[in-house]
Amino acid sequence: MSVRVNNLTFSYKNFSLHVDALSFEVSKVTAIVGPNGAGKTTLLKCIGAVLPIEKKSLFINGKDIALMRSQERAKHISYVPQEHESAFNYLVRDFVLMGRVAYVSPFALPSREDIRAADKAIEFVGLTSYSGRYYSELSSGERRLVLIARALAQQSDILLLDEPTTFLDPKHETEILELIRKLALEKQKTILVTLHSLEMAFRYSDYMVFMKKGGVVASGKPGDVFHEPLLKSVYDMEMKIIEWNDRKIVLR
Amino acid sequence: MSGQDSKKTQLIFLFFLLLPFLLFVFSLSIGTYPISPRGLIRTLLSAFSPSSFPDIPSAYRDILIRIRLPRLLLGLAAGAALSVSGASLQALFKNPLVNEYILGISSGSAFGAAISIVFLGRAFPSQIAAFLFAVAAVAAVLFIAGSAESHFISLLLTGVIVSAFFSALLSLVMFFASPYALQALFFWLMGSLSLASWKDLAISFPLMLAGLVLLLLLRWRMNVLSMSDEEARALGINVRREKMLVIGATTLITSAATAVAGIIGWVGLIVPHLVRLMVGADNRKVIPLSAAAGASFLLIADDITRGISPLEIPIGIFTSIIGIPLFIFLLKKTRKVWL
Repeated sequence: MSVRVNNLTFSYKNFSLHVDALSFEVSKVTAIVGPNGAGKTTLLKCIGAVLPIEKKSLFINGKDIALMRSQERAKHISYVPQEHESAFNYLVRDFVLMGRVAYVSPFALPSREDIRAADKAIEFVGLTSYSGRYYSELSSGERRLVLIARALAQQSDILLLDEPTTFLDPKHETEILELIRKLALEKQKTILVTLHSLEMAFRYSDYMVFMKKGGVVASGKPGDVFHEPLLKSVYDMEMKIIEWNDRKIVLR
Repeated sequence: MSGQDSKKTQLIFLFFLLLPFLLFVFSLSIGTYPISPRGLIRTLLSAFSPSSFPDIPSAYRDILIRIRLPRLLLGLAAGAALSVSGASLQALFKNPLVNEYILGISSGSAFGAAISIVFLGRAFPSQIAAFLFAVAAVAAVLFIAGSAESHFISLLLTGVIVSAFFSALLSLVMFFASPYALQALFFWLMGSLSLASWKDLAISFPLMLAGLVLLLLLRWRMNVLSMSDEEARALGINVRREKMLVIGATTLITSAATAVAGIIGWVGLIVPHLVRLMVGADNRKVIPLSAAAGASFLLIADDITRGISPLEIPIGIFTSIIGIPLFIFLLKKTRKVWL
């Protein structure tokens, strides 16, 4: 399963995204980083076809995403939004079950198999004991896990996560990132994740993509691209990298 | 689902599936001429062979077959239609305060049915004109509210504007109507089941049934449609197409109900809300229970309005008197979150 971006453009009001060429490694975690307004979320939403895209700009295994039916696409790519707000309060298990909609024919109800797939997804993120609880009763960290479980129930190879750690405390942030690594390792998912924390991106990703003003500035293995001059040019500020036990800490 | 939970849900389902039938039998027997349950069966049978039941006066037969039966069947269908339409639209617009009134469906179909009644006479099925103008109204609301359709205030305001426009058109129709037509129109607009005839039902009933079945089949997908459009799309739903399908079906059943029963407001708001209080938001339960509870609600409302005074109070007035304070209560309670 390969993901290839080819001349992708998207414009909205006075923002425009343009990515010439970019491909994502299979079964690896790619972190997309950059300042606010760089187009990270837009890129993710374009890849997830949540936003409209032009033909011939995105390919999965050589297949044009723009030509796929939404149902077929959802079996390949799942998208985890940064947050979810709803007027209606669903139980965790009903919420996660919605991830199966691509597998259920339009006039049918989810089958036993769908329910099992949803339960397994809930189990994978460690929320089995919460499955009879309401979404609104959960903490923000637990809610992120529910959103991830719903995407897992989609059983897609590619998982897009939009800032899954924002507003989380360090413990929950680490838990989510460990889970993301586990998904790439154990479930061979190709993962694209937007992150704000540079240290975490460096630590948990196999590849990094740096974005600025709607374009890609640099991409590659963290060890190759994570250096001070690049950070300075991406964020327009002085940054210092300190190494400590294979980890990198950014001082600013 | 814990065992106790599912047991509770099963009991609620059982109760609400039986309730409309019990109320139906009860409502058939009460009225200016009460008929006992045994009398009901005999009177019904006598319709097929009057000679076998010489003791049953033909007036009773007429009351039961020509008046009560179509009236109550309309009550059942319209109650189910309005409640399911409300519940579906609330899921679709991701807001528990949305109803067919707000989207202009009610005023559009009222205008359509009115021009049909006044200018084409009762011979032409008013359901067709009601549906066409309901579609026009809801399309206008969605077009004007545009991409802001998920913002409740702009949807609400647009609905008010479009409804006001169709009300003005309706006044124009009334202005040109003959005194006789005006009286009929006026009474019908207040919402009433008393005008039900087999002829009207023959058209409205299948339309409501078809729309109801479609919405029942789509009930689980409505959970997904109640997510943000971006989420629904990412989960694999063709949001535009499925929204049109649901809006089309709700418009069909609402206009089919309105064309015969007039404007019976607020049922689509009260019933789904009460159902959600009992079983939660899952539309797999909310939609069928709304159908059953809505059918029961309208029968009870009809029984009360028939029973309060010999001069029947139009049922639309009654549901509005109950519904509007409840709407205000809901609005106040949920304003922070959903406006």
